[in-house]
Amino acid sequence: MKKTWAMVAMVLVVSLMLVVAGCGGGAKPAEKAPEAPKFPTKQIEIIVPAGAGGGTDMLARAMANKAKDLLGQPVVIVNKPGGSGTVGFTAGQTAKPDGYTVTMFFAEIVIVPHLGIAQADHKLFVPIMRVNMDPAAITVKADAPWKTLKEFLDYAKANPGKVRMGNSGPGSIWHLAAATVEDKTGVKFNHVPYGGAAPAVTALLGGAIEAVAVSPAEVGAQVASGKLKILGVMSDKREKAFPEVKTFKEQGYEVVVGTWRGLGVPKGTPEPVVKILHDAFKKAMDDPGFIAQADKLGLGLAYLNAADFTKFMDADFANYAKLVDKLGLKQQKK
Amino acid sequence: MDLLVHGFATVLQPQIFFILVAGTLGGIIIGSLPGLTATMGVALLTPLTFSLPPATGLVMLCGIYCGAIYGGSISAILIRTPGTPAAAATVFDGNELAKKGLAGKALGMSAIASCAGGVFSALCLTFIAPELARVALSFSSPEYFAMGLLGLSIVASISGDYVVRGLISACIGLLVGLVGLDNLNGYPRFTFGLVDLLNGVSFIPVLIGLFAVSEALRTTESMLKTAHVDFKLSGVLPSFSELRGCAKTILKSSAIGTMIGIIPATGGDIAAFLAYGEAKRSSKNGEKFGTGELEGVAAPEAANNGVTGGALIPLMTLGIPGDAVTAIFLGALMLQGLRPGPLLFKDNAELVYAIFAGMFLANIIFMLFGLFAIKYIARVINIPKPILTPIIFVLCIVGSYSINNSMFDLLVMMFFGVLGYLMDKFKFPVSPIVLALILGPMVEGEFRRSLLLSSGSFSIFFTRPICVAILTLTVFSVVGAYIQQRKKHRLLKLEN
Repeated sequence: MKKTWAMVAMVLVVSLMLVVAGCGGGAKPAEKAPEAPKFPTKQIEIIVPAGAGGGTDMLARAMANKAKDLLGQPVVIVNKPGGSGTVGFTAGQTAKPDGYTVTMFFAEIVIVPHLGIAQADHKLFVPIMRVNMDPAAITVKADAPWKTLKEFLDYAKANPGKVRMGNSGPGSIWHLAAATVEDKTGVKFNHVPYGGAAPAVTALLGGAIEAVAVSPAEVGAQVASGKLKILGVMSDKREKAFPEVKTFKEQGYEVVVGTWRGLGVPKGTPEPVVKILHDAFKKAMDDPGFIAQADKLGLGLAYLNAADFTKFMDADFANYAKLVDKLGLKQQKK
Repeated sequence: MDLLVHGFATVLQPQIFFILVAGTLGGIIIGSLPGLTATMGVALLTPLTFSLPPATGLVMLCGIYCGAIYGGSISAILIRTPGTPAAAATVFDGNELAKKGLAGKALGMSAIASCAGGVFSALCLTFIAPELARVALSFSSPEYFAMGLLGLSIVASISGDYVVRGLISACIGLLVGLVGLDNLNGYPRFTFGLVDLLNGVSFIPVLIGLFAVSEALRTTESMLKTAHVDFKLSGVLPSFSELRGCAKTILKSSAIGTMIGIIPATGGDIAAFLAYGEAKRSSKNGEKFGTGELEGVAAPEAANNGVTGGALIPLMTLGIPGDAVTAIFLGALMLQGLRPGPLLFKDNAELVYAIFAGMFLANIIFMLFGLFAIKYIARVINIPKPILTPIIFVLCIVGSYSINNSMFDLLVMMFFGVLGYLMDKFKFPVSPIVLALILGPMVEGEFRRSLLLSSGSFSIFFTRPICVAILTLTVFSVVGAYIQQRKKHRLLKLEN
C-alpha cells in the first residue's frame, strides 16, 4: 500500500512539475510579444566624440548621471575624440544596433561629410532627440571701433578680406557660422582657424584678430569683465545670459546658425528600445538638477523630438553642403 | 595677505585638508600610471566635485593636478615609462640614475625639484598673476612659432654623441607629426583613409611605445641572453651639497616652467624639454647629461610642476584656460556657478585664495609623501625582471588603450615599441622623435597661421619684439651647439 501511495505521490509531483515547467515555457513568449522588451539588462555606453572635460562631455556626463537611475543600469561615458568628432561618429554608427551604444553627436556630423574625408553620416543614426543648441555670435574687443553689428559688417564690406575672423578649426561649426554671415550679407572675412574656441578668444584678447564667431558662453567671462563685447547672436531669440545683446534678425540680418548636440543610436535599433531610451533621457533632461547644471555651463537646452530633429539635421546638412563648397574646404575625391 | 592667511585657514580645516591629501595622493597614483594623465585624472574626478562645496572640490582638483604631474616622474625614473607626457624628459637622466642603483637620489631630487617648481609657480600665481597674465596675451602665432623652433633646436643637445642620427630621428618625428587633418585647411594627410588617423598619431601611445615597450623588449632580450642581473639599490636621498649644486637649475627651470605655463596652449611636456635643454647648455656637467645627472632630473621636474601654477594664471585672471587641465578647471568653476576672470577676485576672493593655498599645500604634501615613500617605491626595481617586465607590458597596453579607448592606439604603441627597440640597436636616439612630435605640428601650424594673419607677409616674424628675441635665441642655440661640437672634435683629434 505504502508503495502505491508513494508511486501516486511521485506521479503527481512529476506531473505537477511538468505542468509548471510547461506553463513557464509557454508563458514566456506570450509575455514577451505585447510588452516592451527587457531593456536595458546591462550597462549602456554613451560615446562622446570629444575629449573629457569639454562641453559635450560635461553635458553627456550630467545626463548619464540622471539617466542611470531611470534606466536602472549604469550609463558610462566613453570618450572617442578626434577628427572633428569623426572618430566617435563612425564608432557610434557602426556599433551593434541593440541600444546599448548611444552616441552624443553634434553639429559637425552634418559638416564633415561634405569635407569629403569622412564616412560619418547622420542618416546612419536613428536620432533619439536633440538636447542642446547654442547660437553663434560675433564678438569683438570692447574698445573696437564698431558699436553695432551694422557698423562692423559695413566695415567688412568696404574692406574685403581685411577683418580677421577667428574660429575653432577648419570646417568647424564656428567656421561655417562665419561663412554663413558672408553668404547672407555679402562680406568677405579672412578666416583664421585656431585649435579650439579658447585659443581663438585668446588671440582676440591679444589683438591678433579682429573678431571671433563662437558661442556667447565661450566669451562669457571676458564679456562680463568688460574686455570683449558681443555685436549680435545668430539666433531667433536673445540669449538668457546676455539679454541686452540683440540678435542678427533684430538688426536686419536673416542669419540663424548654431551648434547643437543630440543623442542617437545606430540604424536598425528596435523601435521600442529607442522609445525606452528617449523616455529616460527626456526625463533626465527635465530634471531640475540637470537644468541647473546646464545653465551654469552656459549650455542652452533645446529639446526636439526625433522627427523634428531629423528634419532639422537634414536642413543643416543641405545648407552646409553649399557653404563648404563656397569656402573651398571640399577635398578632392579619389 | 590677510586673504591668503584666510585661504590657508580654509584649506587647513580638517575635511578640506583631508580631501586635499586624498586628491594629491590619488594624483600621484594617476600620474605614475602610464596612460592615466593629469588631464584624465582631473576630468574623471571633476563630476565628484559637483556635490562638494566649491572650495573643497576645487582644492581637490588642485591636489590631483599637482600630484599627477609629480607622479609621472616616478615611473619615468623607475621603469623608464613617463607616467605623463610632462615626464618624458625626466626619463633621460632619471632612468640612467636608477640603472646605476641611484633610484633613491633620482626620486628624491624629483620630489624636491617638483615641489620647488610648484611652490615657485604658486608664488607667482598668488602675487603677480595680473601682471603675468599680460604675457599670455602678448603671445600670438609668430611667437608660438618662434618658441616651437627654439624647442626643436635642442634636438642637438638631446642626441648625445650622434647628432646626425638625432636629426634623422627628429625628421621621423616631424613626419609622424604631419599625419592627420591639417589644422588650417582640414586636409587629411597620410591618413590612408583610416578614420583612426584623422586626428593624427596619438602622442601617448607613441611615448609609451618608444620608451617603455622598447625597454621591456630589451629587458626580455637580456633575460634570454644573460643570467639574472640585479640592480643594486640604495634608498639614499640626495645630499645637501647635491641639492645646492642643483639650486640654480631648479630656480631657472621653475621660472621657465611658470612662463610656459602662462602661455596658453603649451604645457608641461614642452616646458620640461626646454628646461632640460637650457640646463644642459648652461651646466658645467652638460656633457654628462643623459648618462645620469641629478641636474637632468631636477630641470624637467621643476619645470613641469612650474607649469601647474603658471597655467592657472590666465585661467583665474582672464578666464582663458592655458591647457587641457585648466580647461577642465574652467568647467568645474562654472559648474559651481563661478566665472573665472577679474571679477572672480572681487566676488569670490575667499575661494580664490583657498585655491592658492591649496596649490601651495598640494606641492608640499606630494614632496613629503615622495621623500617618505622612496624607500618603498624604489623597491619596484628589485622585483625580478621576469615578473616586472610582463607587468610593465600590461600597464603599457592598458595605458595606451585608455587614452582614447582605441584598439588602433595599441597598434601604434606596438609599432613604436619595435621601432624604438630597433633604433636603439642602431644607436639612433629616440627622444628627438618625441620632441619633434610635440613641437612639429605647433611650429607648422603657427607658421601658417602667422602668414594667414599677416595676409602672407613674412614681416610679421621680424616686427614683433618678442618673436625676434626668441628667434635670435634660437639662432644662438643652434650655432652654439655647432661650435661646441667642433671644439669637441678638435679636442678628440688632438688627443689622438
